[in-house]
Amino acid sequence: MAEKITKEQVFDAIRKVIDPEVGFNLVEMGLIYDAIIDDDNNVKVVMTLSTRGCPLHQMLTQWVKDAVKEIPGVGEVEVEVVWEPAWNISMADDNVKKALGAL
Amino acid sequence: MFNVSREFAPPFSLIAPFFVIGSIFYLIATLLLPMFGADTSHFDISVVGWAHLFLLGFVMMVIFGAMAQLVPVVLEVGHFSVDFYYLIWPLLTIGTILMVIGFWLAPGLLPYGGMMVLIAMLTFLADTIMTLRKVEHISLTVKTVAVTNGFLLLGILVGFAMALGIGAGVGVDINKWLNAHIVLVLGGYVTLTIMGMSLILLPMFGLSHGFDERPINLSFKVMVGGVLAYLAGAAIDSQVVRFLAMLTMLGAMSLYLWQIWLIYETRARKENDIWFRSMVVGYGSLAFSLPLGLLAALGAPENIGMTAVWFLVMGFFTFLINGHLYKIIPFLVWFERYSPLVGKQKVPMLADMYPKKMADYQFWFSAAGVVIAGIGLLFQSDTMFKAGAAFMAMGAVFLVTSVNWMMKFGKE
Repeated sequence: MAEKITKEQVFDAIRKVIDPEVGFNLVEMGLIYDAIIDDDNNVKVVMTLSTRGCPLHQMLTQWVKDAVKEIPGVGEVEVEVVWEPAWNISMADDNVKKALGAL
Repeated sequence: MFNVSREFAPPFSLIAPFFVIGSIFYLIATLLLPMFGADTSHFDISVVGWAHLFLLGFVMMVIFGAMAQLVPVVLEVGHFSVDFYYLIWPLLTIGTILMVIGFWLAPGLLPYGGMMVLIAMLTFLADTIMTLRKVEHISLTVKTVAVTNGFLLLGILVGFAMALGIGAGVGVDINKWLNAHIVLVLGGYVTLTIMGMSLILLPMFGLSHGFDERPINLSFKVMVGGVLAYLAGAAIDSQVVRFLAMLTMLGAMSLYLWQIWLIYETRARKENDIWFRSMVVGYGSLAFSLPLGLLAALGAPENIGMTAVWFLVMGFFTFLINGHLYKIIPFLVWFERYSPLVGKQKVPMLADMYPKKMADYQFWFSAAGVVIAGIGLLFQSDTMFKAGAAFMAMGAVFLVTSVNWMMKFGKE
């Protein structure tokens, strides 16, 4: 039986996905809300985007999916984009806030 | 669920000509600015020719190119037929050239140029209206797109009727309808479009969240009422109705500025990049033009009204358009050339895909030009106006160079 995947592994994998507009990864931007992993290592990533009108919407979710699929032993990967709670800068890491001038 | 997929995104080769040709028209128009004096009237046929060169060749060309990319983003559905856009830029280019020659040299060409511009715009409207029919989520921006396209249709029909009047002797009262044409196109289409699009783009690029949207909702309704009232005032030839309509539109623009301030106050991204500085000059110009517009409506001399229009068009419209070119073109180039490489090799950030020095030169020359020429118009100084125009032309050279640089990024 494959080793159980952890939330940390999923978040670490998504750290490789960079938003080309701001230059930060989606995890430090605070866009990844949760990663739900079942007993068969199927992963559901719950995320949001910094704006509803993001033209990279589908590409970003595809990149997240591709990144998570690279984790050894992972099952099916699903990405759900939610708009509640709406993203705001307080959800980002301090290094992001500092770089953007919000801290 | 809202998706803008790759298949919704128009090909780069389709959009690129709009921005390249638009920036070239901008350069030509600014190079020709010094042929006018500070005491020029907007009824002067040479000014009308120049206005069409600038507004059709640059403003509308870039707006149409931007809409090819933005319509799927803001309407949340794919184009009805994005291939329509392959027809728009050639027709608009040739139509604009014919119309300008018609105004300046050969009035007989005006109806032909006008017809080509009319077909270009009807093609744009056909795609937009058919795309609107697919929309499920009716947001304020969707309503804005619907209403503005109606005003554009009315505006170009009035314009075409006037082109027939000048070029083919059809009985149209130019004095009666010229201002209605200006209000329909500049107020009803360009301004309302900018209002709707900026509500999407400004929070997106500035990472603004949680701001009150009541001012823009009210502004949109008031502006639509103002444009309709002006049209009614022109139809019944009532000075009072036209005056009240002008006040209404100025009120709407003031509400819009308030909304921009709310977005500005809640922005998380505080970089003073070329986009942000362009927005500051653009909205600063709008703030300056509004009280001048009020004075003009109250009967101040024409130079006050011309200065108001100068800051509205050359400050507000121009800086908003040019500022966004530094965001939109790198995105399109990145999407075309680098998005397939994500995860396979290191790809550039969008901020690295525009020429910072050249963009700075464009910004400073253009900003200085707008202010100097604007002061020239206000105080009726030919020297100041021509000096400012020369600065603007220099800025335009850097704009064309920057656009070329961005378009070629990563081509090899």
